[in-house]
Amino acid sequence: MSISVKVMQRPEPETTSYLRAALSGMALTFRHMINPVKVTQQYPEEQTQLSPRWRGTHVMEMHADGRPKCVACGLCPTVCPANCIRLVGGEDDQGNRYPIVYEIDEFRCIFCGMCQEVCPVEAIHVGQHFENAEYTRDRFVYDLDRLMEQDHPSTNLWDPSDPTGE
Amino acid sequence: MAELVKLTIDGHEVSVPKGTTILEAAKQIDTLVPHYCYHPGLSSPAMCRLCLVEVEGAPKPLPSCVTTVTEGQVVKTQSEEALGHRKGVLEFYLVNHPLDCPICDMSGECDLQDYVHLEGRKHGRGIEPKRVFGRDDFGGDVLFYGDRCVMCTRCVRFMNEVEQDECLTVVERGNRSVIDTFFDEGLEGTHWHGNVVDICPVGALVSKDFLYKARAWDLDHTPSVCASCSQGCNVLLHTRDNLVHRVKPRENLDVNAWWMCDHGRLDYEWMNVGDRLEAPLVRGNEGTRTAKSWKDALADLLERASALDDKSVRAVASARASNEDLGALAELVGAFGGGETVFRSPRAEEEIVLKGFPTLARRTDLAPNVKGAGLLGMKRVGADDATGGLESVAGHSGIVVVLGDALADQPEDFGSKAGLYIYLGTHDSAAAQAAHVVLPITTHAEQEGTFTNHEGRVQRFWPALEAPGMARPAWLILGALDAELTGEAGPQTAAEAFAELSEAIPALGGLTYEDLGTRGAVAGTKGAVVGTQGAPAGAAAQAARG
Repeated sequence: MSISVKVMQRPEPETTSYLRAALSGMALTFRHMINPVKVTQQYPEEQTQLSPRWRGTHVMEMHADGRPKCVACGLCPTVCPANCIRLVGGEDDQGNRYPIVYEIDEFRCIFCGMCQEVCPVEAIHVGQHFENAEYTRDRFVYDLDRLMEQDHPSTNLWDPSDPTGE
Repeated sequence: MAELVKLTIDGHEVSVPKGTTILEAAKQIDTLVPHYCYHPGLSSPAMCRLCLVEVEGAPKPLPSCVTTVTEGQVVKTQSEEALGHRKGVLEFYLVNHPLDCPICDMSGECDLQDYVHLEGRKHGRGIEPKRVFGRDDFGGDVLFYGDRCVMCTRCVRFMNEVEQDECLTVVERGNRSVIDTFFDEGLEGTHWHGNVVDICPVGALVSKDFLYKARAWDLDHTPSVCASCSQGCNVLLHTRDNLVHRVKPRENLDVNAWWMCDHGRLDYEWMNVGDRLEAPLVRGNEGTRTAKSWKDALADLLERASALDDKSVRAVASARASNEDLGALAELVGAFGGGETVFRSPRAEEEIVLKGFPTLARRTDLAPNVKGAGLLGMKRVGADDATGGLESVAGHSGIVVVLGDALADQPEDFGSKAGLYIYLGTHDSAAAQAAHVVLPITTHAEQEGTFTNHEGRVQRFWPALEAPGMARPAWLILGALDAELTGEAGPQTAAEAFAELSEAIPALGGLTYEDLGTRGAVAGTKGAVVGTQGAPAGAAAQAARG
């Protein structure tokens, strides 16, 4: 069986002008000059509006006198699927239960928000925040003081006016 | 054999001895009727009204903790009526019980939490404020949270019937009734008050020592034997993060029933002490110690031993070491060339007997295995505070072996005249400075083994903690040395070590780990019916009161 070569008839290129396409492109460009559509955000000068349910790095709520609201009940380390919370409870000078050690490893955290959901005293919250940069890895283990210092807003995992979702 | 009564519980036919209560009979079909005031070790006042069950033919639901079984009785513990009654009673409990589970130490092992979760209402209906008592210090190791109390009076009955020192009582009436001590006389000075914390079904009585330290569900429970006296109470070591957080009694009617003393309960911190010996240390000729691998250290030891002319041994054992450890030591002493083994053990002035259960006491020997060391022919020396008595060992010129004794009272030149001084310990000691070889061993909380208690009952314990570094059980180290000297294979497991020991010691009568089980067996009773398991002490106590 011999090999034969079939010569294909290729269609000739259309001889239409490029001018029409060029003009329509230019028209689009000039239209944006007159009536710009803003897509690009000028971050970091302009900050992103996060969703109220955005789950970022944690915030520990405080009482008015600066004590953490946490009562060291141990539910958040129990529920945490990533096992990133370390808690040692103890008794403070007024006989209340409080966390002696409360650490969250934000690198291990998967930001599921279950710690906030399970907290009986609304102390630990995930926050509306995403800008986390440090020079060392160990700075990502947030201790109790660091969690109380966080000043970003905490997350609303549910509508406060309809907590059971009905 | 008592007369048997046949009855039907939840459709299952059950045969139990006459006089058994419905609640105990239901345990035979693995049904636990919820209850607070009933405890097998105490009398039953039937006042919590939670164990109500439906009995066919009875006009009202009956409290199953005091109703004895009758022939042909038909009991329904899970019928709609029974569940309805219990649901109602549980709702009454929650009228005043605070929902402070997040800060309550009992949370996770609380009977009220469990029963409400199983059988209670999903949502509370109460709108009235709850009564508030606050917190009260009962003295000793006990704190009282009056709000959480469900008035089961188990604690009052324990102090009256078992400890027989009436320290607690119920004051006021009705809604205002609360447990209290008599004026300023608290539980301070009583020796068994830790048990009221155990038997409290809710978080009303909590231990000061354990307060807020850990959550119940975080703790691992390992069966063990209390090492604080020669009674050998069966206990559970509650551990977390490789630390013992508390000690709780484990039921064994032959030894300690449900109880244990405060002396043993609070004596656990020594198991958590750090700064341990973690590697074998071999002393060079110029006196410096070098950490070596087990293989090198043991080879070095054997080389020194073979070069000796005087191979007579003086050994110091410890009554805190397990039978396996002591047995391996005895074997090794024999393999080296024979010699004398002594041990020292602290002795208290008097026994502290639990009056309501007189076979249980804090014994005078404050070490768990004095009897075991005695059975192996070791001689007790020294004073009652476990000092002195080692003059013949300190200046011995042959081989000196120290196992588990910290030698805290001995001078730094202890054993400096010895041809070979082997020190096996958990911690370094001043008197170990002259040792040619220092070998790290485990505590009883880190290894498997057995203790022989004051009446000769051999009881097993299990490892609860991880041993630090290269520390190994003493029976494994001594067994390996013995194997090198005699050419026989050494034991690889604690069970093998114990089997070898019980073959060699006629007093143990060929017991094995299977014979011992979780509750132990008295030495020399293999094959005989052991123990008095079965008769609840509470039933006996109640019968005695008529």
